[in-house]
This record gives sequence, structure tokens and C-alpha cells, in this order.
Amino acid sequence: MTFSLNVTGSDLILMLPEIILTLWLCGILIVDFAMPKLPKEQLAYLSVCGLAIVLANLVWFDLEGVSGALFANMFVLDRMALFFKILIVGATMLVLLASRDYVQRFRFFKGEYYFLVLMSALGMMLMASPNDLLSMFITLEFSTFGFYVLVAYLREDAASNEAGLKFFILGVFAAGLLTYGISLVYGETGKIVFSEIAATAWTPGLTIGFLLIFASLGFKIGAVPFHSWIPDTYHGAPTPITAFLSIAPKAATFAILVRLFFVSLAALKPAWVLLLVGVSILSMTYGNIVAIAQKNIKRLLAYSGIAQIGNVLIGLAAGTKMGEDAILFYLLTYVFANVGAFAVVIAVSNLIRSDEIEDYSGLNRRSPFLAFAMLVFLLSLAGVPPLAGFIGKLYIFLAAIKEELYTLIMVGLVNIVISMYYYLIIVKKMYINEPIDRSPLTVSPSMQAVIYVGLAGTLVLGIYPKPFIEWAVAATLMFSNFAPAAAVAPVVLPFGG
Amino acid sequence: MAVPLSAYIVVSAVLFTTGLIGVLIRRNFIIVLMSVEIMLNAANINLVAFSHYLESMAGQIIALFIIAIAAGEAAVGLAIIIVVFRGKISTNVDEMNLLKW
Repeated sequence: MTFSLNVTGSDLILMLPEIILTLWLCGILIVDFAMPKLPKEQLAYLSVCGLAIVLANLVWFDLEGVSGALFANMFVLDRMALFFKILIVGATMLVLLASRDYVQRFRFFKGEYYFLVLMSALGMMLMASPNDLLSMFITLEFSTFGFYVLVAYLREDAASNEAGLKFFILGVFAAGLLTYGISLVYGETGKIVFSEIAATAWTPGLTIGFLLIFASLGFKIGAVPFHSWIPDTYHGAPTPITAFLSIAPKAATFAILVRLFFVSLAALKPAWVLLLVGVSILSMTYGNIVAIAQKNIKRLLAYSGIAQIGNVLIGLAAGTKMGEDAILFYLLTYVFANVGAFAVVIAVSNLIRSDEIEDYSGLNRRSPFLAFAMLVFLLSLAGVPPLAGFIGKLYIFLAAIKEELYTLIMVGLVNIVISMYYYLIIVKKMYINEPIDRSPLTVSPSMQAVIYVGLAGTLVLGIYPKPFIEWAVAATLMFSNFAPAAAVAPVVLPFGG
Repeated sequence: MAVPLSAYIVVSAVLFTTGLIGVLIRRNFIIVLMSVEIMLNAANINLVAFSHYLESMAGQIIALFIIAIAAGEAAVGLAIIIVVFRGKISTNVDEMNLLKW
């Protein structure tokens, strides 16, 4: 029974983005304590600067084609991990910019807010890379810890506390299922690395273990029947955190799901395709039908998020390289449209202190910019051409058609129609209904910046998706000859180490 | 006399089920939190027993990490429960009814 770990300096370069972010967030905390007079908005810009450096580093890695494995194969850096890391860092930057004004509402701990957001971002960056059950568990919990606190951040607001508590209870419950699942898989195989698990014979214990792990990951992405925390948590949490929660952890969890299904469970594809088809149909239908009845915009976006996850699961159910490209591209379009929609919600809530859909009446008369931006984001979420969401949905459906999953596609198409209905109700309220209060609304520069980035992303991905699709296709090259024994990418370092 | 592996697995399965039922039916947050800890420790027993019988180190290392993370969970969870308790003077699940559709 020996366990050895050899790490050299050149190996650690693979973790450079994470190391930079770790140092930077410690710096943020020190600056917050050491300079109490510093306006807290400055910390928002400082955090965004740090993330910009990390983003530059990740893009450089991606262009150089850096890849490799670290810590006895626990941590892998390949192009898929880089894709998800870039996605998460980008989403975090937008969320931080969008929280700048919202943070003024907190009475205490304004500085620690940025620290916690960066901490969760760090956890999710690590979530893009795990290659065994242990690192999967640690990174999942690491990223969730920050969110437990962030969701309950509005201390005087009973709804936020309640949301935090509900999120916490279901989060740790999911962690309990995950650990027991891991223990069963380990007991049956004696291995924890994803690719080594694939090589062992199948037993009932392994099935239960993987079902438990899937249930716990299902909690994280909020797929039906593991969705019960989503609406309450989204409703009660501070709105920028809702925006963050609706994208980054889900994207990061998909990185784990893809590795798990494509590497460990490759041999069992016929079985898990059925499971995923079922979960996908339930998520889409439940999310869209319940969304119709919602009166609060955050709850509506929560249910629409459950339905969107159902859409992404179509790609996973296809179980091909094309399906996986479609997942990556869809998540990219979803980041822009969803962060954008939440940015509008944050801007409106900063100005009128309300999240009720009724208060969006006549938004066009009060702020044509906000109304137009919301229109674009909602249409993109619904999947209307020529916006990004359309290409994303098209790509996912094409991947499913190739695998002849016709039932799934029919349900998906019906659901697009249902979702169109409740998205257009908001559009009708904004454009046709008369406003109750006619005073014009002025949007702050940082909110404008976020909304413009969202609009730009939604339009560019919709009109000229080619380079982004190529990026997604390149990111999943390691699955191109998707076979039971998919190996980890070899260590290629351009640094002469 | 060596204890067979199956004994450990049975104990762990019973503990896990106890925790699972506790989370699902108990109405007090503190007890729900304790039930989750029981679930995590069921996994620990499994991991250490498997680690011994498979003669591989990985299981014990995972168990160590689970203990550390469980401690962190308890800290964060109790902090949130205290914040809620200050506002409501209650730790009952059924009184959490502000958010519903």
C-alpha cells in the first residue's frame, strides 16, 4: 500500500490559471481589510481585472494547445477543460459587473461578496478538470460552499435566508448521495480514475453507485426529478447570484457529466441513453409547463432554466461527439442569453425594487433599451432565428436526429412552442401594456456594459456561429473516435519542461 | 477472528438508509443536518473497509477528504441555521414557507 506523488514546477504550469486566481482572491481579501476607506465598487473592478488576466492566460493555453495531466491523473487540462474554464471565467466577469450596483443593498460584508464569488469561480474552474472520483467530489463541494453563503447573503431578508437554507439542505443531501455512490463504485472496481473504471466488469453495486452519482449531479444541474431546490433558491437569492447559479455551476457540472458518461460509462451507452432521454423529457415538459403559471420573473427564469437543462441533456442523450459539440455550443449561447436576461432583471430591480412580472408593464415606454434587450434575450432563450439560441437548439436537435431519437425531438419541439408562449407574455407586457408608473428609467454604465456584451454575444453567435462551432468541435476532439477505452490526452508541454 | 467485508457493508448500508430516511421525514434542521452527516459517515465506513480489503490506499484518502468536507459543511450549515433562527425563532422545516409558487 504505497502512494507517491511527484510534482515538478513545469507540471504546475498546467494549473497556472487557478494559481493566479487563488493569489488574486487572497489579494482582494487583504485589500478589503487593509484599506477600509476604499470604495467597495473598486473591488468589483479589481476582481474583474484579475479574471481578465486569468481569461487571457486560458486563451493563450487554448491557442498554444497546452494539455496534460497532473497529480497522478487527478487533474487534467485538455481543450474541453479549457473551453469550460473560459466559459466560467467569462460568466463570472459578467456577473461581477452586474453585481456592482446590487452590492449597495448589503449592509455588511460588501467586500467579502467579491471574494466569495471569485472563490466559487475558482471551484468551478477546477470542476472543469477532474479525472477521478475524488477530485470530482472535492471540486463539486468546493464550488458549492461559496454559493451556500452567497445565496443567504441578504441577511435582513427572510426570503434570502430561507433560500440559503433550502439550497444548503438539498446541497448536502446531494453530497451524501455522491459520497455513498463513490464508495460503492470504488468498492466494486478498486479504482477511482474515470478511464480505469471503464475497464472493469459490470455488477449491480456499480449500477447503484453510478445512479447515486448521477442523482447528485442531477441536483447540481437541476434536472427533474432533482429540481426541487431551484425555484425557491433562485427566487430568494440576491439576483446576481441567481444569474451566476443559473449558468456557471451547471456548465461546470456538464463538464463532469460528459467525462463520466463518455469515459467511464462508454460501454453502457444503450442503458444511459434511456435514462437521459427520460430525464430530458421530464425536465423540458415540467419546466415549461410550470413556468407558464409564474408571477415572479426570477421564478419564471428558474423554471425556464430547468427546461433549458432538459434541452442540453438531449445533446448528452445523443451520446456522440456531435452531441457533445452541441452541448458546448448550447451552453455558450445560454451564457449570453441568460446572463443578459438576468442583467435586465437586476437593472429593473435596482431601479424599481421589484421582480414581479406585472411591474414590467410598459417597460418600453420607460426604458426602450431595457425592453429591447429583454426581448432579444427572451427570443434567444426561446430559440428564434437569427439569434444564438436558435443555432444552439438546431445543433442539439441535429445531433439527436442522427441518433434517431425521434420521440425526444418531438417532445423538444412541442416544448419550444410552450416556452414561446410564456416568453411572449413578458414581451406583450413590456410593449403593449400601459405602464403604471411612467417615470423613465436610467441604466447605470456597468449594467449597460453587461447588457451590451450579452446582446453582442447573442447576435454574433446567431449570425456568424462558424468560428464558435469550430471551437466547440476542436474542444471535443479527444472523443472523435468515441470508443469504450477513451484515453486521457498525452502530456504535451510547449515550455521545454 | 477477522470481521468479514460483508459485515462492514451491511453496517454502512443500514447507516446510509437511516440518514436517508432522517433527511426525508425529520422536520428539524439540526436533525436533518445530523442525518446528512450519518450518510457521509456511512460512505466513510464503506471506503475504509474496501480500502483495507482491496489493499489500495485511495479509499482511505477519500475518507479523509470526506471528513474534512463534512466539517466544513457543518460549519456553513450551522451558520445559516443561526441566521434563520434569529429571524424566525424556529428551526422547523414546515415553517419555511415564504417561497412558494
